[in-house]
Amino acid sequence: MNPNPQSSDGKHDDDSALSDFLASLMDYTPTIPDELVKHYLAKSGFQCPDVRLIRLVAVATQKFVAEVASDALQHCKARQAAVVKDKRDKQQKDKRLILVMDDLSKSLHEYGVNVKHQEYFADSPSTGIDPASREE
Amino acid sequence: MSGVESTRDTRKGEDGPSTSLGRPKADDFGRWVSKIAVAQICESVGYQGFKGSALEALADISIRYLCDLGKNASFHANLAGRTECNLFDITRAIEDLGDSHGFPGASEIGNCLVGSGIVKEIVQFVDTKEEIPFAQPVPKFPIVRNGKLIPSFEHMNEAPPGKHIPSWLPAFPDPHTYNHTPIWNERASDPCADKIEQARQQRKAERALLRLQQRLVRNGSTGTSASLVLDATEAGSNPFLAAPLQQGEKEVSEVVLPAKLSNEVSKGDHISLLDAFAPAIDAMKTGPSDRLDGEKTFLPEKRPSVQFKFKTGKKILGESLDLSLQRKGERSSTFFLRDDERDDKKKRAEFILRQTTEYPMELNQS
Repeated sequence: MNPNPQSSDGKHDDDSALSDFLASLMDYTPTIPDELVKHYLAKSGFQCPDVRLIRLVAVATQKFVAEVASDALQHCKARQAAVVKDKRDKQQKDKRLILVMDDLSKSLHEYGVNVKHQEYFADSPSTGIDPASREE
Repeated sequence: MSGVESTRDTRKGEDGPSTSLGRPKADDFGRWVSKIAVAQICESVGYQGFKGSALEALADISIRYLCDLGKNASFHANLAGRTECNLFDITRAIEDLGDSHGFPGASEIGNCLVGSGIVKEIVQFVDTKEEIPFAQPVPKFPIVRNGKLIPSFEHMNEAPPGKHIPSWLPAFPDPHTYNHTPIWNERASDPCADKIEQARQQRKAERALLRLQQRLVRNGSTGTSASLVLDATEAGSNPFLAAPLQQGEKEVSEVVLPAKLSNEVSKGDHISLLDAFAPAIDAMKTGPSDRLDGEKTFLPEKRPSVQFKFKTGKKILGESLDLSLQRKGERSSTFFLRDDERDDKKKRAEFILRQTTEYPMELNQS
């Protein structure tokens, strides 16, 4: 670490920003409840009596899930835009955005998670092909 | 908030019956709660519905992310020689998990964790995103039950058998739990008295069965005076050898011949046939248990036109057995007619028989 006077000021700012952030975390309620986070952290060996750190972990997880979901949403919207060009009658139905396995696997692939939905039975000729033409 | 509730409720309602399969696992509660939380997050992102499998997969992944964070943070804490994690351990753990996606400042080495890019991103996230608290209060889980401990030697005020055993260890079980001792049969058995008792109980059961069959016969037949007499007498004595009753001593219902008796040949009047056999059919359908209370309300006032031959006690009992056996048979009502062969109304009986064989369906109507 460079004992730079400029960076020390930066550090000071960062310190204060971080402490402010941790203080503000007490007001912010993350979507994932504290008890759930505590349970799974205790399972994996994480020991910390500080509630702010628990909240930090919860917020980090929430951010991750939100990012994955928003990526999947982009895929879903892109798929709908591509389909609408072909059929006009599907416009009314496609207003609903549904989280589907295919979109999820595509967005998780960028995070290094391989999730493949297994086809249970091939009861139609279109099984296994691109789901763009499949109905809900 | 109401929008969140409604979709979540429909989602949960959908899932409810489908997840009733299989035994409940220890982690089920945590998984359910995380499913709800993930659904809420997705809804805030903009989704309006979820596929069950996709939601479960995402919830599973978020749980794994949480566990990985914890593992990583505790690893870094242990690496630094601590058992409790602090802010920097968590920051390092988040950086490790976010490395694949990238965050500002990832490539820099030797920078202070306080100014970590990923924490700044989280700060930004908290500032921009609106707060969505979890929809329902979550109780503290898992519930820790106080286990029942085996009392120690000290507790039991026992001296441990052996100097090498400290007294604070759990006590040994009582010797009667593992020692096998011989069993002495104290009860005196009397084989003669046992046999007498057994025979007595058998006779009792036989008497009860006989009485039951008598009642069956009484309710099964159509109100002949002989059955009334039969009920009063013991099994074995012949009621027909008793002294005849004088005129007016006992009330007997009048025999009313229906007007259509001669016309039945031509038309084949099934309705009168049904009426004649209706009480018997009802009796057979309801079964013997219903007749034990001795109600005779369904016995007709008028004696029907079909006549039955009087029989001795034993034979009627034999017939009532058939009554119960043939309860579900199609031609169950025809057993009444088997005895009329030697009667002078044999032709009439044969005619009725022919009619029942031709139209068995009519008789089976209740």
